[in-house]
Amino acid sequence: MILNINATRMELLRLKKRLKIAQRGHKLLKDKRDELMRQLLSIIDEVKSLRFSIEKEFQSILESFMLAKAEMGPFQMEQELLLPTKTISVSVEQKNLMSVHVPVYTREVKGDIISYGYFNTSGELDISLIKFDEFIESLLALAEKEKTVQLLANEIEETRRRVNALEYKLIPNLIETIKSITMKLSETELSNTVRLMKIKDMVRSH
Amino acid sequence: MNTKIAALGEKDIMLIFRAVGVAVFPVNTIIEAEDKLKKIIKEEYGIIFMTETIAIKLDSIIKQYSFKLLPSIVIIPGLGERNNYAIDILRQAIIKAVGADVMAEG
Repeated sequence: MILNINATRMELLRLKKRLKIAQRGHKLLKDKRDELMRQLLSIIDEVKSLRFSIEKEFQSILESFMLAKAEMGPFQMEQELLLPTKTISVSVEQKNLMSVHVPVYTREVKGDIISYGYFNTSGELDISLIKFDEFIESLLALAEKEKTVQLLANEIEETRRRVNALEYKLIPNLIETIKSITMKLSETELSNTVRLMKIKDMVRSH
Repeated sequence: MNTKIAALGEKDIMLIFRAVGVAVFPVNTIIEAEDKLKKIIKEEYGIIFMTETIAIKLDSIIKQYSFKLLPSIVIIPGLGERNNYAIDILRQAIIKAVGADVMAEG
């Protein structure tokens, strides 16, 4: 599509400048897209294996927890866990991954996981809680990685659209318009020369 | 920046989360879960653990937040029947970005 622009020398210069910038931007964005894609592909396998191992482990922890609950009875269990002494908070930092801001979590833990006396509780409960305590760490890692994948995927999609818009729309349009302006300008120049020659002939014949 | 952790799901599972010091929100119905999830997000919890069975029904809310830095919603398997919601949501994002299912087996 030829842009709706006056066929003048000034516009031609302007368009040529724009084309140069567009081509440079296109190259940069393409590089960005490729690098993002590489990052994404390298993290996907990690996330996948982490998720599978976490799901398996969580299942086994839950099972032992449920066993403990069955052994002690639900009311007793609730009573023992009513006031946990452990508190957990997470500090979030941002990491810049190819201008995509991804979170990095570090956990801050206070207190002890066992908040009850050993008298009325079953050993199964202790084991499952201690296991779960360690397990939280990998859950946080998973949270971080999954978020990274999602943010990267989003950024790739955006970049890809930009690259395509430049490649298939803007740059061809600019090239076409530049061509048509050049043609028009040379046409006017030609007709001007012909007119001058004609006038010269007329003047001479008098 | 410090942030808090929340867990949303069936009562049985929530008990174990409470023991490690996570703020828990036990729910029974989906409507209740939806309200609580909105409340949790409003209160600026940075990480939200959520069981699969609930997550699959609150899909639209989860998708709204999946491309924001915070909160990060992590789907954990529940006690009931398994569905592959967590993997599916990742797969969808990747298909949208790459244009092919790179997570497929292989």
